Amino acid sequence: MIDLRSVSRIYRRGADEVHALERVSLHIPAARFVALMGPSGSGKSTLLNILAGLDRPSDGEVVVAGQRLNDLDEDELAAFRARHVGFVFQFFNLIPVLSALENVELPLLLTHLGKAERRERAATALRIVGLAERAGHSPGQLSGGEQQRVAIARALVSDPEIIVADEPTGDLDAKNAEDTLALLRTLKQEFGKTVVMVTHDPRAEKYVDLVHHLDKGVLFETREGGAAAAGGQP
Amino acid sequence: MIRFLPLIWRNLGRNKVRSSLTGAAIALAIALVCVLRTMPAGLDNFLSTLAKNTRISVHNEAGIVYPLPYSYLQKVRSVPGVVEATTWTWFGGAFEEEKGVTFPNFAVDAETIGAVYEDLGIAPEQLETFRRQRDATLVGRLTLQKYGWKIGDRITLKSTVFPVDLELQIVGEIPAAVDPRAWLQREYLSQALEAQGVSFDLVNMIWARVDDADRVNEVMRTIDELFRNSEAETASETEKSFFGNLFGNLQGFVTVILMVTGMVTLCIVFIAANTASMSIRERVGEIAVMKALGFRWRALFGMLVLEAALLATLAGAAGTVITLGLAQALKSVAGFSPQLGPLASFVVTNAMLVEGLFLACFIGIVSGLVPAFGASRRSVAATLREIF
Repeated sequence: MIDLRSVSRIYRRGADEVHALERVSLHIPAARFVALMGPSGSGKSTLLNILAGLDRPSDGEVVVAGQRLNDLDEDELAAFRARHVGFVFQFFNLIPVLSALENVELPLLLTHLGKAERRERAATALRIVGLAERAGHSPGQLSGGEQQRVAIARALVSDPEIIVADEPTGDLDAKNAEDTLALLRTLKQEFGKTVVMVTHDPRAEKYVDLVHHLDKGVLFETREGGAAAAGGQP
Repeated sequence: MIRFLPLIWRNLGRNKVRSSLTGAAIALAIALVCVLRTMPAGLDNFLSTLAKNTRISVHNEAGIVYPLPYSYLQKVRSVPGVVEATTWTWFGGAFEEEKGVTFPNFAVDAETIGAVYEDLGIAPEQLETFRRQRDATLVGRLTLQKYGWKIGDRITLKSTVFPVDLELQIVGEIPAAVDPRAWLQREYLSQALEAQGVSFDLVNMIWARVDDADRVNEVMRTIDELFRNSEAETASETEKSFFGNLFGNLQGFVTVILMVTGMVTLCIVFIAANTASMSIRERVGEIAVMKALGFRWRALFGMLVLEAALLATLAGAAGTVITLGLAQALKSVAGFSPQLGPLASFVVTNAMLVEGLFLACFIGIVSGLVPAFGASRRSVAATLREIF
């Protein structure tokens, strides 16, 4: 599903070069829940951005869902993301002037679906995350945990193969963090999604199949997560 | 883009105070521009509606303040090609003495004025009453509206030229919307002056109507030739040329007005651009998220520009409504201004309002272009790194 071959990413910061990733190779099979872990500045978010088509490697090859992302221009990358990738961010990033249902509907505006069909799918996604009754509420009227579930419904609504989550529990309390991790696990278990998550949260390890550890831009360890060890159950 | 309209609309309401204040600034600017535009348009309209190329003015070659002998009238009438001729003499009557002359008024020949000005659309029965009734006056619609006068009202004008006050009865209307002038009988003025022992045998100018536009130049040459080497040589010109020259000094005003209009537009572009960039800067995170979700930069660029254009166009619509009210108020306060002439007619046309709307839309588009381009082209990864 996701193949990174000797991927490097170098940023320019003034006259200096920052080596965010150093020849990282990684294979993530379909329908796995994977965590990218490591200290701040280890390059895990950069890696996530590259495999999600948000950023380009300075060197190396990125193949996701059968497409070589190195060959795609900006518009093609946007189309790739709309079709294949759902995003969940740390701070939810919902549009405050839209209701929960409208926020979930947002990615569907890029499809050819009619309004009724879009609404129907958005309502279904909200039902999956357990927020059907909160559809008409604006983000400001929802708790942090609820907002993150709306964000997960938004990531899910266009039925992408891959869901990437950047610190999805970083702004949540313990209870909501556990709920969010469980929900992401459900997406993998019940809907066959490939979920790639960047996290610092040690609780995440028991929900994922694989943990990749990065430090200073280098992938130095890959091991099974708690879910794999428990036969697929956290 | 249509499916994004609800989102664009919601974004307009995101910061209601800021949107309202920007909208108010644009609305007032559009109203100001439209009202200013009525001024040069008033001059053009005056010349095109009231001035004809088949009517010629015969005045003293030295200038219109120098009179001509009244006896010239008969000679002008006898020139081949002249259908009819009449005289104008500046009465300079003030209705409210302390305000001076607030509308132009002339003593004219009641017998012939109708034939020379047949195109003005004055009702025949009103012209007939004017001809028969010695103290009659015909008043332009602009002045009737300004003072709230109606036919049958009696008014007194105190002349600033002659030592007489004349009591007059309004018997009819000069119906053009931009016409401020009033006519009274020359005979009435003559009798009033004779009663005070003042002889009255001069005119300021003679107006003649020519039967054929192709003969106008020939008729003007003939008239001027007729009075060559006389005590008062004449200079003839068409009515359009006469008023064009008369109001020529207003062209400077017009230039200033156009410059002010341009500056106001530029100012409001900067204000609107500042608002657009503030509004967009607050949303760079959201815009980055939308790009991450798969929105292409052109779609985001279009949405942001459309948002600025929509706000400006709605404000422009409000501005056109303000224009109508403001022009009406100015018209009732100012009416004819001796200093501004037809510039102060404040007649708003549909074309001006449509232009105002387009200008508002243009302001919105221009103000949104730069911030929208910057935000929509920004790298998603870089933005997410900076913001989150």
